Amino acid sequence: MHTSSLLFSAIAGLLLACPLVGAPAPTTLHNSGDPTLALTPGLRGATAAPPGAAPGNPDPHDLEGVWWLTGYQYLLGPEPGVPPPLKPKYMRILEDRIRAKNRGTPVADASTQCMPHGMPRIMESPYPIEIVQTPGRITFLHEVAHNIRRIYLDQPHPKQLTPSFLGDSVGHWEGDTLVVDTVGLNDRTFIDDEGSSHSTQEHVIERFRKIDNGSSLELIMTVEDPVTLEHPYSYRRIYRWRPDVRPQEYVCEENNRNAPVNGVTVAK
Amino acid sequence: MRGTGIAKSVLPAMAVMFLSLSAHAAPDLSGVWLLDGHIGAVKTTDGGAPPLTPDAQGRYEAHRKAAARGDYSYDGVTRCLPPGLPRLMLMHEPFEILQRDKIVYFLYQVNRLPRRAYLNESLPTDVDPHYLGYSVAHWDADTLVVDTAGFDDSTLLDNVGLPHSEDLHLTERYRLSPDGKHLHLTYTVEDPKTFTKPWSARADYTRQDGYRIPEEVCAATAVDKRPRQ
Repeated sequence: MHTSSLLFSAIAGLLLACPLVGAPAPTTLHNSGDPTLALTPGLRGATAAPPGAAPGNPDPHDLEGVWWLTGYQYLLGPEPGVPPPLKPKYMRILEDRIRAKNRGTPVADASTQCMPHGMPRIMESPYPIEIVQTPGRITFLHEVAHNIRRIYLDQPHPKQLTPSFLGDSVGHWEGDTLVVDTVGLNDRTFIDDEGSSHSTQEHVIERFRKIDNGSSLELIMTVEDPVTLEHPYSYRRIYRWRPDVRPQEYVCEENNRNAPVNGVTVAK
Repeated sequence: MRGTGIAKSVLPAMAVMFLSLSAHAAPDLSGVWLLDGHIGAVKTTDGGAPPLTPDAQGRYEAHRKAAARGDYSYDGVTRCLPPGLPRLMLMHEPFEILQRDKIVYFLYQVNRLPRRAYLNESLPTDVDPHYLGYSVAHWDADTLVVDTAGFDDSTLLDNVGLPHSEDLHLTERYRLSPDGKHLHLTYTVEDPKTFTKPWSARADYTRQDGYRIPEEVCAATAVDKRPRQ
Protein backbone atom coordinates (compact mmCIF):
# COMPACT_ATOMS: atom_id res chain seq x y z
CA MET A 1 0.00 0.00 0.00
CA HIS A 2 1.26 3.46 -0.88
CA THR A 3 1.99 5.97 1.85
CA SER A 4 -0.66 8.30 0.43
CA SER A 5 -3.39 5.68 0.68
CA LEU A 6 -2.29 4.85 4.23
CA LEU A 7 -2.60 8.54 5.05
CA PHE A 8 -6.00 8.63 3.39
CA SER A 9 -7.13 5.63 5.46
CA ALA A 10 -5.92 7.28 8.64
CA ILE A 11 -7.78 10.51 7.85
CA ALA A 12 -10.92 8.59 6.90
CA GLY A 13 -10.67 6.68 10.18
CA LEU A 14 -10.36 9.92 12.13
CA LEU A 15 -13.34 11.40 10.34
CA LEU A 16 -15.40 8.32 11.19
CA ALA A 17 -14.33 8.47 14.82
CA CYS A 18 -15.14 12.19 15.20
CA PRO A 19 -18.65 12.93 13.92
CA LEU A 20 -17.95 16.67 13.87
CA VAL A 21 -14.83 17.87 12.11
CA GLY A 22 -13.05 20.41 14.24
CA ALA A 23 -14.38 19.15 17.57
CA PRO A 24 -11.76 19.38 20.31
CA ALA A 25 -9.69 16.24 20.80
CA PRO A 26 -11.50 14.19 23.46
CA THR A 27 -10.00 13.86 26.89
CA THR A 28 -8.75 10.34 27.20
CA LEU A 29 -9.47 9.36 30.76
CA HIS A 30 -7.82 6.05 30.08
CA ASN A 31 -4.49 7.80 29.54
CA SER A 32 -4.95 10.71 31.92
CA GLY A 33 -2.17 9.49 34.23
CA ASP A 34 -4.33 10.62 37.14
CA PRO A 35 -4.95 7.59 39.38
CA THR A 36 -8.03 9.22 40.88
CA LEU A 37 -9.56 9.15 37.39
CA ALA A 38 -8.77 5.47 36.76
CA LEU A 39 -11.49 3.74 34.75
CA THR A 40 -12.80 0.33 35.72
CA PRO A 41 -11.31 -2.12 33.20
CA GLY A 42 -13.77 -3.57 30.73
CA LEU A 43 -14.89 -7.19 30.72
CA ARG A 44 -14.20 -9.69 27.99
CA GLY A 45 -17.85 -10.61 27.81
CA ALA A 46 -19.37 -13.48 25.92
CA THR A 47 -17.50 -15.90 23.75
CA ALA A 48 -18.97 -17.67 20.74
CA ALA A 49 -21.46 -20.46 21.33
CA PRO A 50 -19.82 -23.78 22.24
CA PRO A 51 -19.34 -26.50 19.62
CA GLY A 52 -22.55 -28.33 18.87
CA ALA A 53 -24.80 -25.32 19.50
CA ALA A 54 -27.32 -24.55 16.79
CA PRO A 55 -25.77 -22.31 14.14
CA GLY A 56 -26.98 -18.75 13.75
CA ASN A 57 -30.00 -18.16 11.59
CA PRO A 58 -28.76 -16.32 8.48
CA ASP A 59 -32.16 -14.65 7.84
CA PRO A 60 -31.24 -10.96 8.30
CA HIS A 61 -34.75 -10.03 9.40
CA ASP A 62 -35.08 -12.69 12.08
CA LEU A 63 -33.31 -11.52 15.22
CA GLU A 64 -35.12 -13.89 17.57
CA GLY A 65 -33.03 -15.73 20.13
CA VAL A 66 -30.45 -15.14 22.82
CA TRP A 67 -27.59 -12.70 22.25
CA TRP A 68 -24.70 -11.85 24.54
CA LEU A 69 -22.45 -8.81 24.49
CA THR A 70 -18.72 -9.10 23.85
CA GLY A 71 -16.31 -6.58 25.32
CA TYR A 72 -18.29 -4.87 28.08
CA GLN A 73 -17.19 -1.28 28.74
CA TYR A 74 -17.81 0.78 31.87
CA LEU A 75 -17.36 4.05 29.96
CA LEU A 76 -19.50 4.44 26.84
CA GLY A 77 -17.76 6.97 24.66
CA PRO A 78 -16.96 6.81 20.95
CA GLU A 79 -14.18 4.32 21.70
CA PRO A 80 -12.83 2.48 24.76
CA GLY A 81 -11.28 4.85 27.30
CA VAL A 82 -12.72 7.95 25.65
CA PRO A 83 -15.65 9.61 27.42
CA PRO A 84 -18.79 10.77 25.64
CA PRO A 85 -18.37 14.32 24.24
CA LEU A 86 -19.78 15.85 27.41
CA LYS A 87 -20.07 19.60 27.84
CA PRO A 88 -17.49 20.89 30.35
CA LYS A 89 -19.95 21.05 33.24
CA TYR A 90 -20.93 17.41 32.73
CA MET A 91 -17.32 16.33 32.17
CA ARG A 92 -16.56 17.69 35.66
CA ILE A 93 -19.53 15.72 37.03
CA LEU A 94 -18.24 12.56 35.35
CA GLU A 95 -14.79 13.14 36.85
CA ASP A 96 -16.34 13.68 40.28
CA ARG A 97 -18.23 10.40 39.95
CA ILE A 98 -15.12 8.50 38.82
CA ARG A 99 -13.17 9.94 41.76
CA ALA A 100 -15.96 9.01 44.17
CA LYS A 101 -15.88 5.46 42.79
CA ASN A 102 -12.10 5.26 43.17
CA ARG A 103 -12.40 6.46 46.77
CA GLY A 104 -14.70 3.50 47.39
CA THR A 105 -17.81 5.67 47.77
CA PRO A 106 -19.50 5.38 44.37
CA VAL A 107 -22.59 7.43 43.59
CA ALA A 108 -25.62 5.14 43.89
CA ASP A 109 -27.10 5.17 40.42
CA ALA A 110 -30.56 3.90 39.51
CA SER A 111 -29.47 0.34 38.72
CA THR A 112 -27.90 -0.16 42.14
CA GLN A 113 -31.33 0.67 43.56
CA CYS A 114 -32.97 -1.98 41.34
CA MET A 115 -34.36 0.50 38.87
CA PRO A 116 -33.75 0.04 35.12
CA HIS A 117 -30.30 1.00 33.82
CA GLY A 118 -31.43 3.60 31.30
CA MET A 119 -30.23 4.09 27.72
CA PRO A 120 -27.84 3.34 26.18
CA ARG A 121 -26.46 1.60 29.26
CA ILE A 122 -28.99 -1.26 29.33
CA MET A 123 -27.54 -2.48 26.03
CA GLU A 124 -24.11 -2.65 27.71
CA SER A 125 -24.95 -5.43 30.13
CA PRO A 126 -22.69 -8.43 30.69
CA TYR A 127 -25.81 -10.62 30.82
CA PRO A 128 -27.71 -12.20 27.94
CA ILE A 129 -30.49 -10.47 26.01
CA GLU A 130 -33.32 -12.51 24.51
CA ILE A 131 -35.04 -11.03 21.48
CA VAL A 132 -38.63 -12.04 20.76
CA GLN A 133 -40.04 -11.05 17.40
CA THR A 134 -43.82 -10.91 16.95
CA PRO A 135 -46.03 -9.06 14.45
CA GLY A 136 -45.49 -5.32 14.84
CA ARG A 137 -43.16 -5.75 17.77
CA ILE A 138 -39.64 -6.60 18.75
CA THR A 139 -39.16 -7.27 22.43
CA PHE A 140 -35.84 -7.31 24.27
CA LEU A 141 -35.85 -9.40 27.43
CA HIS A 142 -32.73 -8.55 29.40
CA GLU A 143 -31.58 -11.03 32.02
CA VAL A 144 -30.13 -8.19 34.05
CA ALA A 145 -32.78 -7.09 36.55
CA HIS A 146 -35.48 -8.47 34.20
CA ASN A 147 -35.46 -5.29 32.17
CA ILE A 148 -37.73 -5.32 29.16
CA ARG A 149 -37.84 -3.12 26.08
CA ARG A 150 -40.88 -3.14 23.82
CA ILE A 151 -40.07 -1.79 20.35
CA TYR A 152 -43.16 -0.92 18.31
CA LEU A 153 -42.53 -1.24 14.58
CA ASP A 154 -43.53 1.21 11.85
CA GLN A 155 -45.26 3.76 13.99
CA PRO A 156 -44.42 7.14 15.49
CA HIS A 157 -43.75 7.80 19.15
CA PRO A 158 -46.91 8.66 21.10
CA LYS A 159 -47.39 12.43 21.36
CA GLN A 160 -47.66 12.39 25.13
CA LEU A 161 -44.89 10.48 26.86
CA THR A 162 -44.33 10.04 30.56
CA PRO A 163 -40.56 9.91 30.97
CA SER A 164 -39.41 6.41 31.89
CA PHE A 165 -36.12 4.67 32.64
CA LEU A 166 -35.91 2.90 29.26
CA GLY A 167 -37.96 5.39 27.27
CA ASP A 168 -40.31 4.81 24.36
CA SER A 169 -38.88 2.84 21.45
CA VAL A 170 -40.11 2.57 17.88
CA GLY A 171 -38.36 0.75 15.07
CA HIS A 172 -38.31 0.07 11.36
CA TRP A 173 -36.24 -1.90 8.90
CA GLU A 174 -33.88 -0.15 6.50
CA GLY A 175 -32.85 -3.02 4.27
CA ASP A 176 -31.23 -5.57 6.57
CA THR A 177 -30.81 -3.09 9.42
CA LEU A 178 -33.29 -2.67 12.27
CA VAL A 179 -33.31 0.99 13.28
CA VAL A 180 -34.64 1.68 16.78
CA ASP A 181 -35.40 5.21 17.93
CA THR A 182 -35.78 5.91 21.65
CA VAL A 183 -36.99 9.09 23.38
CA GLY A 184 -39.03 9.81 26.51
CA LEU A 185 -36.23 8.97 28.91
CA ASN A 186 -36.09 10.24 32.46
CA ASP A 187 -32.80 11.67 33.75
CA ARG A 188 -32.43 9.36 36.75
CA THR A 189 -29.95 7.10 34.95
CA PHE A 190 -26.46 7.54 33.54
CA ILE A 191 -25.28 6.99 29.97
CA ASP A 192 -22.75 4.50 31.29
CA ASP A 193 -21.48 2.73 34.38
CA GLU A 194 -18.85 5.41 35.12
CA GLY A 195 -21.52 8.11 35.40
CA SER A 196 -21.79 10.17 32.18
CA SER A 197 -24.88 12.35 32.43
CA HIS A 198 -27.84 12.58 30.11
CA SER A 199 -30.99 14.68 30.25
CA THR A 200 -34.64 14.03 29.46
CA GLN A 201 -33.84 15.31 25.96
CA GLU A 202 -31.59 12.34 25.29
CA HIS A 203 -32.32 10.66 21.96
CA VAL A 204 -30.88 7.25 21.20
CA ILE A 205 -30.70 5.62 17.77
CA GLU A 206 -29.69 1.99 17.44
CA ARG A 207 -28.88 0.24 14.20
CA PHE A 208 -28.88 -3.57 14.52
CA ARG A 209 -27.60 -5.80 11.75
CA LYS A 210 -26.78 -9.48 11.65
CA ILE A 211 -23.25 -10.26 10.56
CA ASP A 212 -21.11 -13.37 10.07
CA ASN A 213 -24.05 -15.44 8.81
CA GLY A 214 -26.12 -14.77 11.90
CA SER A 215 -23.49 -15.72 14.45
CA SER A 216 -23.18 -12.10 15.60
CA LEU A 217 -25.35 -9.04 15.89
CA GLU A 218 -23.79 -5.66 15.24
CA LEU A 219 -25.10 -2.57 17.00
CA ILE A 220 -24.17 0.97 15.99
CA MET A 221 -25.36 3.08 18.91
CA THR A 222 -25.83 6.83 18.44
CA VAL A 223 -26.49 9.09 21.40
CA GLU A 224 -27.76 12.65 21.12
CA ASP A 225 -28.38 15.02 24.00
CA PRO A 226 -28.46 18.78 23.41
CA VAL A 227 -28.23 19.39 27.16
CA THR A 228 -25.22 17.32 28.21
CA LEU A 229 -23.35 16.53 24.97
CA GLU A 230 -21.33 18.82 22.74
CA HIS A 231 -22.45 16.76 19.73
CA PRO A 232 -23.92 13.33 18.95
CA TYR A 233 -21.57 10.38 18.98
CA SER A 234 -21.62 6.72 18.04
CA TYR A 235 -19.98 3.48 18.99
CA ARG A 236 -20.10 -0.09 17.76
CA ARG A 237 -20.86 -3.25 19.70
CA ILE A 238 -21.03 -6.94 18.87
CA TYR A 239 -23.37 -9.49 20.47
CA ARG A 240 -22.82 -13.22 20.06
CA TRP A 241 -25.54 -15.66 19.06
CA ARG A 242 -25.93 -17.94 22.10
CA PRO A 243 -28.65 -20.53 21.52
CA ASP A 244 -27.14 -22.61 24.34
CA VAL A 245 -28.06 -19.98 26.95
CA ARG A 246 -31.37 -19.66 28.74
CA PRO A 247 -31.85 -16.40 30.58
CA GLN A 248 -32.14 -16.99 34.29
CA GLU A 249 -34.26 -15.41 36.98
CA TYR A 250 -32.47 -12.30 38.23
CA VAL A 251 -33.79 -10.69 41.38
CA CYS A 252 -31.93 -7.46 42.07
CA GLU A 253 -34.24 -6.75 44.98
CA GLU A 254 -32.96 -9.81 46.81
CA ASN A 255 -29.29 -9.49 46.12
CA ASN A 256 -27.15 -9.17 43.04
CA ARG A 257 -25.69 -12.51 42.13
CA ASN A 258 -23.52 -13.96 39.44
CA ALA A 259 -21.11 -11.07 39.74
CA PRO A 260 -18.30 -11.13 37.20
CA VAL A 261 -15.50 -13.53 38.12
CA ASN A 262 -12.05 -12.68 36.78
CA GLY A 263 -13.58 -10.18 34.43
CA VAL A 264 -16.23 -12.36 32.84
CA THR A 265 -19.70 -13.51 33.64
CA VAL A 266 -20.03 -17.20 33.12
CA ALA A 267 -22.78 -19.03 31.32
CA LYS A 268 -23.61 -22.55 32.32
CA MET B 1 -27.53 -19.11 39.95
CA ARG B 2 -26.13 -20.22 36.63
CA GLY B 3 -24.60 -23.60 36.21
CA THR B 4 -27.44 -25.94 37.02
CA GLY B 5 -27.87 -28.63 34.42
CA ILE B 6 -31.15 -28.18 32.63
CA ALA B 7 -32.42 -31.40 31.21
CA LYS B 8 -33.27 -30.79 27.60
CA SER B 9 -34.47 -34.26 26.79
CA VAL B 10 -37.88 -34.38 25.28
CA LEU B 11 -40.12 -37.17 26.39
CA PRO B 12 -40.70 -39.33 23.34
CA ALA B 13 -44.41 -39.48 24.15
CA MET B 14 -44.56 -35.70 24.14
CA ALA B 15 -42.76 -35.55 20.84
CA VAL B 16 -45.30 -37.92 19.32
CA MET B 17 -48.13 -35.85 20.76
CA PHE B 18 -46.58 -32.66 19.43
CA LEU B 19 -46.20 -34.13 15.98
CA SER B 20 -49.78 -35.32 15.96
CA LEU B 21 -51.00 -31.91 17.08
CA SER B 22 -48.80 -29.87 14.81
CA ALA B 23 -51.17 -30.65 11.95
CA HIS B 24 -53.68 -28.35 13.69
CA ALA B 25 -52.76 -24.77 14.43
CA ALA B 26 -52.63 -24.15 18.17
CA PRO B 27 -54.83 -21.29 19.38
CA ASP B 28 -52.90 -18.04 19.68
CA LEU B 29 -53.01 -16.75 23.24
CA SER B 30 -50.83 -13.75 22.35
CA GLY B 31 -52.10 -10.42 23.65
CA VAL B 32 -52.55 -8.39 26.80
CA TRP B 33 -54.82 -9.86 29.47
CA LEU B 34 -56.33 -8.66 32.73
CA LEU B 35 -57.84 -10.73 35.53
CA ASP B 36 -61.63 -10.43 35.78
CA GLY B 37 -62.42 -8.92 39.17
CA HIS B 38 -60.29 -9.35 42.25
CA ILE B 39 -59.31 -12.54 44.00
CA GLY B 40 -58.85 -12.57 47.75
CA ALA B 41 -58.77 -15.89 49.59
CA VAL B 42 -58.74 -18.61 46.94
CA LYS B 43 -61.76 -20.86 46.63
CA THR B 44 -61.22 -24.26 45.10
CA THR B 45 -63.36 -25.61 42.28
CA ASP B 46 -65.11 -27.68 44.97
CA GLY B 47 -66.22 -24.42 46.57
CA GLY B 48 -64.13 -24.77 49.71
CA ALA B 49 -60.86 -23.48 51.08
CA PRO B 50 -57.58 -25.13 50.04
CA PRO B 51 -57.05 -28.18 52.32
CA LEU B 52 -54.12 -26.97 54.43
CA THR B 53 -52.24 -29.28 56.75
CA PRO B 54 -52.45 -28.22 60.43
CA ASP B 55 -48.93 -26.77 60.36
CA ALA B 56 -49.55 -24.79 57.16
CA GLN B 57 -52.92 -23.65 58.55
CA GLY B 58 -51.03 -22.12 61.45
CA ARG B 59 -48.70 -20.20 59.13
CA TYR B 60 -51.62 -19.03 57.00
CA GLU B 61 -53.52 -17.76 60.06
CA ALA B 62 -50.41 -15.95 61.29
CA HIS B 63 -50.26 -14.14 57.93
CA ARG B 64 -53.95 -13.21 58.11
CA LYS B 65 -53.57 -11.90 61.67
CA ALA B 66 -50.52 -9.84 60.71
CA ALA B 67 -52.35 -8.39 57.70
CA ALA B 68 -55.34 -7.53 59.90
CA ARG B 69 -53.08 -5.26 61.93
CA GLY B 70 -51.48 -3.79 58.80
CA ASP B 71 -48.24 -5.78 59.07
CA TYR B 72 -47.33 -7.18 55.63
CA SER B 73 -43.72 -7.97 56.48
CA TYR B 74 -44.41 -11.66 55.74
CA ASP B 75 -45.05 -10.67 52.11
CA GLY B 76 -41.93 -10.25 49.95
CA VAL B 77 -43.96 -8.28 47.40
CA THR B 78 -43.81 -5.31 49.76
CA ARG B 79 -40.01 -5.46 49.27
CA CYS B 80 -40.37 -5.80 45.48
CA LEU B 81 -39.61 -9.53 45.44
CA PRO B 82 -41.43 -11.55 42.75
CA PRO B 83 -44.92 -12.60 43.87
CA GLY B 84 -44.47 -16.25 42.98
CA LEU B 85 -47.09 -18.49 41.39
CA PRO B 86 -49.97 -18.87 40.96
CA ARG B 87 -50.27 -15.52 42.76
CA LEU B 88 -48.86 -13.59 39.82
CA MET B 89 -51.80 -14.95 37.82
CA LEU B 90 -54.22 -13.85 40.55
CA MET B 91 -53.28 -10.17 40.70
CA HIS B 92 -55.48 -7.58 39.04
CA GLU B 93 -52.61 -6.28 36.91
CA PRO B 94 -52.21 -6.68 33.13
CA PHE B 95 -49.85 -9.23 31.63
CA GLU B 96 -48.88 -10.03 28.08
CA ILE B 97 -48.51 -13.40 26.40
CA LEU B 98 -46.12 -13.74 23.47
CA GLN B 99 -46.63 -17.15 21.95
CA ARG B 100 -43.79 -18.56 19.88
CA ASP B 101 -43.13 -22.04 18.52
CA LYS B 102 -40.75 -23.14 21.26
CA ILE B 103 -41.46 -20.76 24.12
CA VAL B 104 -44.55 -19.10 25.52
CA TYR B 105 -43.64 -15.85 27.28
CA PHE B 106 -45.74 -14.36 30.07
CA LEU B 107 -44.66 -10.74 30.61
CA TYR B 108 -46.24 -9.13 33.64
CA GLN B 109 -46.79 -5.44 34.26
CA VAL B 110 -46.01 -6.15 37.94
CA ASN B 111 -42.41 -4.99 38.24
CA ARG B 112 -41.79 -6.08 34.58
CA LEU B 113 -41.45 -9.74 35.57
CA PRO B 114 -40.95 -12.28 32.78
CA ARG B 115 -41.82 -15.93 32.73
CA ARG B 116 -40.92 -18.46 30.07
CA ALA B 117 -42.64 -21.79 29.45
CA TYR B 118 -40.54 -24.05 27.24
CA LEU B 119 -42.76 -26.05 24.90
CA ASN B 120 -42.57 -29.81 24.54
CA GLU B 121 -39.84 -30.33 27.09
CA SER B 122 -39.97 -32.18 30.38
CA LEU B 123 -39.32 -30.55 33.72
CA PRO B 124 -35.68 -30.69 34.83
CA THR B 125 -35.09 -33.34 37.47
CA ASP B 126 -33.05 -30.99 39.64
CA VAL B 127 -33.67 -27.28 39.38
CA ASP B 128 -32.55 -24.60 41.81
CA PRO B 129 -35.46 -22.91 43.53
CA HIS B 130 -36.66 -19.73 41.85
CA TYR B 131 -39.39 -17.28 42.78
CA LEU B 132 -41.27 -18.13 39.60
CA GLY B 133 -40.02 -21.72 39.31
CA TYR B 134 -39.17 -23.38 36.01
CA SER B 135 -41.95 -23.91 33.49
CA VAL B 136 -42.50 -26.28 30.60
CA ALA B 137 -45.63 -26.47 28.49
CA HIS B 138 -47.46 -28.51 25.91
CA TRP B 139 -50.70 -28.33 23.99
CA ASP B 140 -53.46 -30.72 25.04
CA ALA B 141 -55.77 -30.23 22.05
CA ASP B 142 -56.74 -26.54 22.33
CA THR B 143 -55.52 -26.17 25.92
CA LEU B 144 -52.08 -24.89 26.84
CA VAL B 145 -50.84 -26.91 29.80
CA VAL B 146 -48.01 -25.29 31.78
CA ASP B 147 -46.15 -27.38 34.36
CA THR B 148 -44.04 -25.54 36.91
CA ALA B 149 -41.78 -26.77 39.71
CA GLY B 150 -38.59 -25.60 41.41
CA PHE B 151 -40.07 -22.96 43.67
CA ASP B 152 -38.52 -20.86 46.38
CA ASP B 153 -40.75 -21.38 49.43
CA SER B 154 -40.75 -17.74 50.53
CA THR B 155 -43.52 -16.71 48.12
CA LEU B 156 -47.23 -16.98 48.70
CA LEU B 157 -49.77 -18.82 46.58
CA ASP B 158 -52.42 -16.12 46.70
CA ASN B 159 -52.91 -12.45 47.62
CA VAL B 160 -53.76 -13.08 51.25
CA GLY B 161 -50.91 -15.22 52.57
CA LEU B 162 -51.52 -18.84 51.49
CA PRO B 163 -48.15 -20.58 52.05
CA HIS B 164 -46.42 -23.39 50.19
CA SER B 165 -43.22 -25.44 50.33
CA GLU B 166 -40.39 -26.04 47.85
CA ASP B 167 -42.26 -29.18 46.77
CA LEU B 168 -44.98 -27.12 45.09
CA HIS B 169 -45.94 -28.43 41.67
CA LEU B 170 -48.27 -26.15 39.75
CA THR B 171 -50.22 -27.20 36.65
CA GLU B 172 -51.99 -24.47 34.70
CA ARG B 173 -54.44 -25.14 31.91
CA TYR B 174 -55.22 -22.17 29.66
CA ARG B 175 -58.08 -22.17 27.17
CA LEU B 176 -59.17 -19.37 24.89
CA SER B 177 -62.90 -18.53 24.58
CA PRO B 178 -64.42 -19.18 21.12
CA ASP B 179 -64.47 -15.43 20.38
CA GLY B 180 -60.84 -15.05 21.50
CA LYS B 181 -61.70 -12.28 23.98
CA HIS B 182 -61.43 -14.31 27.16
CA LEU B 183 -58.81 -16.60 28.62
CA HIS B 184 -59.81 -19.24 31.14
CA LEU B 185 -57.36 -20.74 33.59
CA THR B 186 -57.82 -23.79 35.73
CA TYR B 187 -54.83 -24.49 37.91
CA THR B 188 -53.95 -27.39 40.17
CA VAL B 189 -51.72 -27.13 43.21
CA GLU B 190 -49.87 -30.20 44.48
CA ASP B 191 -47.78 -29.74 47.60
CA PRO B 192 -48.03 -32.59 50.11
CA LYS B 193 -46.05 -30.64 52.72
CA THR B 194 -48.69 -27.89 52.70
CA PHE B 195 -51.96 -29.48 51.59
CA THR B 196 -53.64 -32.74 52.55
CA LYS B 197 -54.56 -33.32 48.90
CA PRO B 198 -54.17 -31.61 45.50
CA TRP B 199 -56.71 -28.91 44.74
CA SER B 200 -57.76 -26.84 41.76
CA ALA B 201 -59.13 -23.35 41.27
CA ARG B 202 -60.09 -21.03 38.41
CA ALA B 203 -59.28 -17.58 37.17
CA ASP B 204 -60.58 -15.74 34.11
CA TYR B 205 -59.07 -12.95 32.05
CA THR B 206 -60.28 -10.49 29.44
CA ARG B 207 -58.26 -9.36 26.46
CA GLN B 208 -57.10 -5.71 26.65
CA ASP B 209 -56.91 -4.70 23.00
CA GLY B 210 -54.61 -1.78 22.30
CA TYR B 211 -53.25 -1.58 25.83
CA ARG B 212 -49.51 -1.00 26.00
CA ILE B 213 -47.91 -2.27 29.17
CA PRO B 214 -46.09 0.67 30.75
CA GLU B 215 -42.79 0.50 32.59
CA GLU B 216 -43.70 -0.34 36.19
CA VAL B 217 -40.72 -0.18 38.54
CA CYS B 218 -41.41 -1.41 42.04
CA ALA B 219 -38.20 0.05 43.49
CA ALA B 220 -39.25 3.48 42.21
CA THR B 221 -42.75 3.11 43.67
CA ALA B 222 -43.73 4.18 47.19
CA VAL B 223 -44.21 1.18 49.48
CA ASP B 224 -47.92 1.82 49.96
CA LYS B 225 -48.46 2.11 46.18
CA ARG B 226 -46.86 -1.24 45.28
CA PRO B 227 -49.42 -3.71 43.93
CA ARG B 228 -50.14 -6.57 46.30
CA GLN B 229 -53.18 -8.07 44.62
